[in-house]
Amino acid sequence: MTSDPKAARLQKVFPVDLDKFLPDIIKRNYGKWVDRKFHGAGIIEHISETGERVFTVKVAMPPNARLSADTLEKFADIADRLGIGALRATMAGNLEFLTDSLEKALKIKEEVESMGFPVGGWGPAMWGINSCTAFLTCTTSVVDSPSITKALGDVLKPYFTGEEKLPAKLRIYVSGCPAMCAGGTAIDIAIVGQWGAPPIIREEALSYCLPPPKALEKIAESQVFLVQICPTGALSLRREGGRVKLTLIPEKCINCARCKENCDAFDYDPENVGVAILVGGKMSNTGRGPRLGRVLIPWLPAIPPRYEEIVAVVKRVIDVWREHAQPGERLAEFIDRIGWQRFVGLVGLEKVHAVYQRIPDHVRTFMYFRQRYEAWRRLREGI
Amino acid sequence: MAAPPGLPPPEELLKRADEMLRELEKGPWPSHVSELRKTRYPLHVYGVGLVARKSPWGPGTVRVKYVNTGVLSRWARDWVPNGGEETHFRVFHTPGKFWKTDFIRQIAKISKELGVGLIEIVGQTGAFVINLTKDKAEEMVDALREIGTDVGGSGDAIRALNACVGPALCEFALFDTLRWYAEFYKDKRINDAIATPGFPYKFKIKISGCPMDCARANRADVGFIGVWEGAPEVDQELLRKKIEAGEVDPKELAARCPSGAISWDGKELRIDGEKCKKSMECIRRAFPAIKPGKKIKIAVVVGGGVKGRFGPKLGNFIGYLGPNDTQKAIDLVFKAIEPWNNEAMPKCRLGDYIMIAGIENFLKKADIKLEGMPEMAKTGDEVPYAVLSKEEREEYLNLVKELKGRA
Ligand code: SF4
Ligand code: SF4
Ligand code: SF4
Repeated sequence: MTSDPKAARLQKVFPVDLDKFLPDIIKRNYGKWVDRKFHGAGIIEHISETGERVFTVKVAMPPNARLSADTLEKFADIADRLGIGALRATMAGNLEFLTDSLEKALKIKEEVESMGFPVGGWGPAMWGINSCTAFLTCTTSVVDSPSITKALGDVLKPYFTGEEKLPAKLRIYVSGCPAMCAGGTAIDIAIVGQWGAPPIIREEALSYCLPPPKALEKIAESQVFLVQICPTGALSLRREGGRVKLTLIPEKCINCARCKENCDAFDYDPENVGVAILVGGKMSNTGRGPRLGRVLIPWLPAIPPRYEEIVAVVKRVIDVWREHAQPGERLAEFIDRIGWQRFVGLVGLEKVHAVYQRIPDHVRTFMYFRQRYEAWRRLREGI
Repeated sequence: MAAPPGLPPPEELLKRADEMLRELEKGPWPSHVSELRKTRYPLHVYGVGLVARKSPWGPGTVRVKYVNTGVLSRWARDWVPNGGEETHFRVFHTPGKFWKTDFIRQIAKISKELGVGLIEIVGQTGAFVINLTKDKAEEMVDALREIGTDVGGSGDAIRALNACVGPALCEFALFDTLRWYAEFYKDKRINDAIATPGFPYKFKIKISGCPMDCARANRADVGFIGVWEGAPEVDQELLRKKIEAGEVDPKELAARCPSGAISWDGKELRIDGEKCKKSMECIRRAFPAIKPGKKIKIAVVVGGGVKGRFGPKLGNFIGYLGPNDTQKAIDLVFKAIEPWNNEAMPKCRLGDYIMIAGIENFLKKADIKLEGMPEMAKTGDEVPYAVLSKEEREEYLNLVKELKGRA
């Protein structure tokens, strides 16, 4: 045991006191909300059985929800002046201003818009774009999702503000690498950074991630960390010139990036890097229920700062959906109804991407296990 | 990572980085670069990364006494002119992610005085992030604890919990997600598993008040989602009014119900509770004339996740708890953790482990039994050969014995 007072830090201070952290009007009406109304894009009204109302104004944040403390303080001033003295962050990376009248909500909208932050979302609109941090801090990213998000937002803003209509809700996740920290692929459109080609091992950095050479001679291959984390067996030990070495078998690699996440020695050439575009995922149980997105295009170049190739494909997907979907039909449901093959055709692609069907070696490991998961019930089938 | 080939000399590189950054400040969408400019974040590093088309950051270390998770640090790669450092804390969000202005001002003050004036208001774990410089790390931890929150949730530990806004501001909330959130955090075992990493991989717990799943429980290692039993509740009179007012189209309600549970005979709307799959489609179109049913249950899903050995997964449904079963829910989390923690290979998520072990084995090992637990897999196996234990073969023998007896 230690007498260091800092050891008290092992007991975390969790912000769990509802009384302290919830605004008064929320506390008074906790669990009493009985109705909701929409007032144009980005403003929703919640009505309590007590008669009280809360109006929420949804405001888009910069990519990766990055704000300076200065801007945050300005928002706090607006929340004090025109709101109920509180804001709310959402998982979509938006910031919501809370107030008690439509008039004030409209004023908030005006003020934040004049600061350059659009108001929108809810209903048949784009609800926001989630971006991971990528080049802002992440060591494993291969493309920079915040700048991709910026390029997309610049073009898709009218779908957020409601100036242009969509058939249903749309959300986009942009992740800088296969770790998919922007939220994964269970979303309408997911953009995921790709290596494009198997990693290049920097021998000089590899020693940090492996047991020392002598030990490596004796350890069973299956006990070596880097061998363990590779899901396909692409990383294995080989004897080369009397020494045991970690070797990458490119034919087996699926570019999942797990080796890179766990060892800085795995490198890539920016020329090979790109993004995959996935469509038709969602998390909510609406329509036909939650599902993961599927790969529409496995690789596109990611060229900053405007990423025209990515923007063009996303725009095309949205246009096809707008033109052919029924009202209220989310991208996932639309694709389900017309069929994947037809959807892919409408986008202008000739073939369906299904790389695992063509490379049997992968089927043996990775896909075999993926398919096992299909046998059990998910939420929709279970409940 | 090595310098990308063909990188221009330092001065030219910085110039091009600056042009790139300026370009990202144009256009109608809010710009992260404009915000970063108002802070002491080393923006040139980011710009150089964009020109190089490679992450400019390499792993760094920072030690904060007795803070074992939630602290992350990077150094600029050696090919970034003038170098740079980036350190950040993951900080627990308030319940429902409500930020009262006094709290915002405290955060902003800490960020300005001890950090670099930069905040990520919400990340995908559900925590928020404050950037800082290493020398202020000790001080910042104490300052954050002082205002009622803390640093934590990274590495192979339980991560920041996530709950939807629930009864605080949502009509659909079927149970008290924020109370669950609080109860979970108050549990000593949860605290310890957040404070100190030691699992095969990360572990996420998410709590959603209804099947809209705003907290993304379907992709948690263990997720809780409010549902109800039977049909949604219909207030026929209110519904009639809404239909007359043109707010609701009953034919559309029937057509949009994915389970074919709704019928409309021109006068009354009927819902077959047996068929209803809780899609919320009728409810969100006709609320409050159609509401979720009154008998609330908490659906439990396990083994979801984004990152993992076998790629992204949605959770498996394993049965129900009651809306007040927070203690049982916490126990369930630790029951699920046990076999995974004992047996899984490093960097296997719970879902990866379940794939390898098989869900039935997993549930048996974890000793999890819930009401409504599906007893059978969705479909049978496509492979007609397997190694079966003697006991298993005997089960089938018993089956045919019984069948023969019946004949
Ligand atoms: S998705 Fe990849 S690039 Fe983005 S933060 Fe996660 S690890 Fe980094
Ligand atoms: S990218 Fe994935 S499959 Fe390829 S070597 Fe690394 S861990 Fe193995
Ligand atoms: S909740 Fe969904 S499945 Fe159930 S009746 Fe309504 S529309 Fe049909």
